[in-house]
Amino acid sequence: MNPLAQAVYELQEATLLIGRAFSRAMSKPYYFREIIVQMDTVGFGSLMIIILTGVFTGGVLALQTGATLKTFGATGVTGTLVMTSMVREMGPVLASLMLAGRVGSAIAAELGSMVVSEQVDAMRALGSDPVKKLVWPRLLALIVMTPALTLVADMVGAVGGWVVASALMNVASSVYISSAKEALTYNDIIGGMMKPAVFGLIIAIVSCRAGLRTYGGTVGVGRSTTQAVVLSDILILVADFFLSRLILAFSGS
Amino acid sequence: MSEVIHSAIEFKDVKMAYDDRVILDGVSFEVNPGETKIVMGGSGTGKSTILKLVLGLIKPNAGQILVDGEDATYRSEQEMVEVRKKIGMVFQEGALFDSLSVYENVGYRLFEQGVPEAEIEETVRRMLRFVNLEQAMFMMPSELSGGMRRRVGIARALVGSPRLMLFDEPTAGLDPITARTILELAIKLRDLEGVSSIFVTHRLDDIKMLSSNYATINDSGEVEFQKENGEVCLVNTRFIMLKEGKVIFSGTDEQLYGSKDPYIQDFLRES
Repeated sequence: MNPLAQAVYELQEATLLIGRAFSRAMSKPYYFREIIVQMDTVGFGSLMIIILTGVFTGGVLALQTGATLKTFGATGVTGTLVMTSMVREMGPVLASLMLAGRVGSAIAAELGSMVVSEQVDAMRALGSDPVKKLVWPRLLALIVMTPALTLVADMVGAVGGWVVASALMNVASSVYISSAKEALTYNDIIGGMMKPAVFGLIIAIVSCRAGLRTYGGTVGVGRSTTQAVVLSDILILVADFFLSRLILAFSGS
Repeated sequence: MSEVIHSAIEFKDVKMAYDDRVILDGVSFEVNPGETKIVMGGSGTGKSTILKLVLGLIKPNAGQILVDGEDATYRSEQEMVEVRKKIGMVFQEGALFDSLSVYENVGYRLFEQGVPEAEIEETVRRMLRFVNLEQAMFMMPSELSGGMRRRVGIARALVGSPRLMLFDEPTAGLDPITARTILELAIKLRDLEGVSSIFVTHRLDDIKMLSSNYATINDSGEVEFQKENGEVCLVNTRFIMLKEGKVIFSGTDEQLYGSKDPYIQDFLRES
């Protein structure tokens, strides 16, 4: 197969997988336990790295924009810049990239190992549907938890920016906070929550696909894991561009 | 004629290829009810493929597969669920779910069906007793030895009392004593429970033991294993030999040992 045909084929398979996951989730058994476990692993399990990512991203945004703003004597709008960059771009994209690294790789490795040790075959032989039992809980967990974690990243990012602005750049706390508050529109927030939901879907589907089509033993597991992370990262960045364009178009700016 | 007796499994001219690599090239055979069919052949001759085809985990390119007299060839994944309920499969390395305990592994089918916990525990205990592993009930698969994993795999396959068992090289890589216990389990299922099975192997020891030993219940109600002799001749065990995707031999152990085919003679030669 040539690369273009391969890409189209992958897109088709990924779309089918999404369709199957959603349609089969509607019938019994519902696997609530698996869903809760996945939400816990994806959500609470990633909390620490998301907080660290958020704090330092917010901090560095304040640092970089502050240096530029100082030449115009406009350090008062640091809060605005930190907040809009965080909510619109940095929060969703960086949180999702971190999740692709932490959760996507784990999904691909786990499902890949299950495939090469015939556990997925055994599951089917024993009458359960791997799409329903393995893919759906992970898909749902990522779609729900990526926006939730992005929200956390946005919040701690704002705090990180505030610490840097007030400690290193002598911006008054009240000025930072009020400029940060005024900066946000509802469109920013809605867009900023919509993006990570799409990114979560991308991570889940890419990683599950990579895991489930693993072949060739333990080497194959390594290959699938790498593929899952690299492809998720690239697709997140590509999707981010088009989603940003879309959201800007809708918000009329 | 009041009742038609179906073969437990029937393959009709099944062809299977991955891309341009031909695995099965027109394979036909039948497994009668209560019969153990031993499938032999070198590595990569499509032995495991046959088992996966029976379960519908993969679909053939051509031909027909009947399970219990019903066509199971081109059913959808949902429709296969009913067929798979009749079948117990023992995978090569056991294929236990790493994240679940032995108890959850063996009871997997019942948990999925939402059977009450008390009933599951009773069934799991009974199955583990059958494979002599009751003490391992609450261990994790990572704590088990290779032989124990296979036996748990057998116990898991037996839940739901399938009338059809598939064994994928269950003795490969095991010491002779553990291998023997696994073969005895297969013999017990064949002779005492009347379960039909396909037993994939390439080990001579397996072939000899399965075709010459049988299980009976003695006067005190214990299971006893005896060797075939002048009076008793086992007829519920037959062989097929695969080579390059084709069945080159099909018959009993006596016919197998008497075969003049150089490949079979080479296969059976003691090293």
